[in-house]
Amino acid sequence: MRLHEHEAARLFQQAGVPVPPFAVAETADEAVAALEKVGLPVVIKAQVLVGSRGKHGGIVTAETADEVRQKSGAILGSAVRGFSVESVMIARKVAIARELYVGVTVDAVAGAITVILGTAGGIDVETVAKERPDALFRKTVLPPAELHGHEARGLARQAGFQGDLMVKVGDVLVALYRVFRASDALIAEVNPLVVGPDGGLWAVDAVLEVDDSALFRHPEMPKDTLARIEHPLERAAKQIGVSYVDLDGDIAIISSGAGLGMATMDVVGQRLRPANFLETGGGITEELMYKTTALVLQKPGLRGLLINLYGGINPIHEGAKGIVRVLKEKQVRIPVVAKALGNRQEETWATLREAGVIIVTDITTEAAVDALSAALAGGPRASDH
Amino acid sequence: MSILLNRKTRVLVQGITGKIGQAQTKWMLEYGTKIVAGVTPGRGGAVIEGVPVFDSVAEAVKGTGAEASVFFVPARSVKDTVFETLEAGIKLVVVVTEHVPVHDTMEMRAEARRVGATLLGPTTPGILTVGEAKMGIIPGNLFPKTGGRAGVISRSGTLAYEVGGILAKANAAPSTVVGMGADPVVLTDLADLLRFFAADPQTDFVTIVGEVGGIQEELAAEYIATDFKKPVIAYIAGRHTPEGKRMGHAGAIVQRGMGSVESKVKALEKAGALIARTPAEIGTIAQTLGIRS
Repeated sequence: MRLHEHEAARLFQQAGVPVPPFAVAETADEAVAALEKVGLPVVIKAQVLVGSRGKHGGIVTAETADEVRQKSGAILGSAVRGFSVESVMIARKVAIARELYVGVTVDAVAGAITVILGTAGGIDVETVAKERPDALFRKTVLPPAELHGHEARGLARQAGFQGDLMVKVGDVLVALYRVFRASDALIAEVNPLVVGPDGGLWAVDAVLEVDDSALFRHPEMPKDTLARIEHPLERAAKQIGVSYVDLDGDIAIISSGAGLGMATMDVVGQRLRPANFLETGGGITEELMYKTTALVLQKPGLRGLLINLYGGINPIHEGAKGIVRVLKEKQVRIPVVAKALGNRQEETWATLREAGVIIVTDITTEAAVDALSAALAGGPRASDH
Repeated sequence: MSILLNRKTRVLVQGITGKIGQAQTKWMLEYGTKIVAGVTPGRGGAVIEGVPVFDSVAEAVKGTGAEASVFFVPARSVKDTVFETLEAGIKLVVVVTEHVPVHDTMEMRAEARRVGATLLGPTTPGILTVGEAKMGIIPGNLFPKTGGRAGVISRSGTLAYEVGGILAKANAAPSTVVGMGADPVVLTDLADLLRFFAADPQTDFVTIVGEVGGIQEELAAEYIATDFKKPVIAYIAGRHTPEGKRMGHAGAIVQRGMGSVESKVKALEKAGALIARTPAEIGTIAQTLGIRS
């Protein structure tokens, strides 16, 4: 789950990262009222969960209270890169002498944590990595180890910082690392970390993405995980406990695993166009399959449904009952092809056949797509392959 | 005929008293797995499917000589249980559990390397040595009765089942099928699993079933190019995966061009692997290798 900037900034601040005074406003009046705490001049930032807000009108500056009223009013209720703005962050504008980058992230290669310090900030870090790799300095930490102060200062020194600034940069890295660990984050990032004309540091952005799998041990995190998913079907899927990704084709897909789902998309995509990716994971029950089938069929304009399941941990014979219930209740007329193999496959086939589902018993997904293509071309509805 | 697991391996089931643990224990026993013990704290003394249950791994190891462990424990308990299991001296652990926090996985990975244990997962279907034994949830009925000479390593669970079946149909039955786990951080690297197959005289070639996300396949390609002498067939799922979209489990995400199907295919092809564009093509390529089970 990605946090809003103001939520991340609050956590960073609590850990000791210097953050300019800020407040959150949902109306222009609240924005003006916030000035009492924040002080002028300010930066008004749309609180949407998408990058490059500055380039898309989501970040503006204001020098007077009138300007704050007018500009925050304009941003609130508008959309930034398709995301509607429900709140703005009003933050004190700070003077900039230099911009740095600091980030902590999971390094899948090393299976460890990477701490990154960049001497060029304010621009996309991937661009820096590509064009100026010498501006990025990294340190790998194997958890549960901490990032120690001397290690952080060592990284700062390596990047060319000296004296007071070296110590301050080191402190920010240690604080950021602490937030990263304490919140089970996938990424914690400040871009840019501003060096002021007086040598003071300010985090003028805050990115924090938390591992969904760890939310159970973070009661302090926002509870609106679902509301942060933009697409209605993707949101509904998350609610049921399955993964759905909307695509632009017309063949609905249900699979019992992510790899199988992607392979199914690969094979379908050779001849037809997948309408979605959907994987159930290992929690199939009759009810889950009922909800899942109903969900993928909500998409308008579908021409067919391909179901690709394996009964390993999943009781597919139970799942089949849920599928059949939807097909009957909704009187589904598009061809439905199912390949369901593994534990209790015969029972599964019998249940599905009864509802007119075309059963494929061959192990290849190609055979299932062949059957679906044939059905779409006007082939027999209830025959087996 | 196999790597890591055979019919003599003394297996421990953790979380054996849960609904899934119990059902899967039955399937594993029916397949021929030598399950000697189960562990569920607080349920010591119980008997599940004829298997004695202990309160701790140390007691189970002491009482039964268990040497490998398969996990059906909840995600929130996985890290704690892994540390207990490694401390009891077990060197092969299969973590079937999904949705394990990645910070926990990083800590378990560091510990596994420190003690020299092989851990599969998280989010793995486990390991199955055809005709001998299985740890995890791979359905036995998808494979022939006796093992062949094709090693299989898969990121994904259900796709491994399909590939195993395709190989069998191509008259190149698998020897051992290994699920390495589908999360972005895995407990044992693909290259390390290949090393086991390199050392197994009964495995003639290996099929890698990869998917978009991460760079396990790219790293394995370096090892294949320099040190792995057996033929490799590789299929990477996710050609139609849109950039920036998470496909189910967390590992399968392409971002900023990294971990794409193209980069993996390119690296593996350069290393000399034979590339299948669909799962069914794995069978076609296996037949051209002229290896029979």
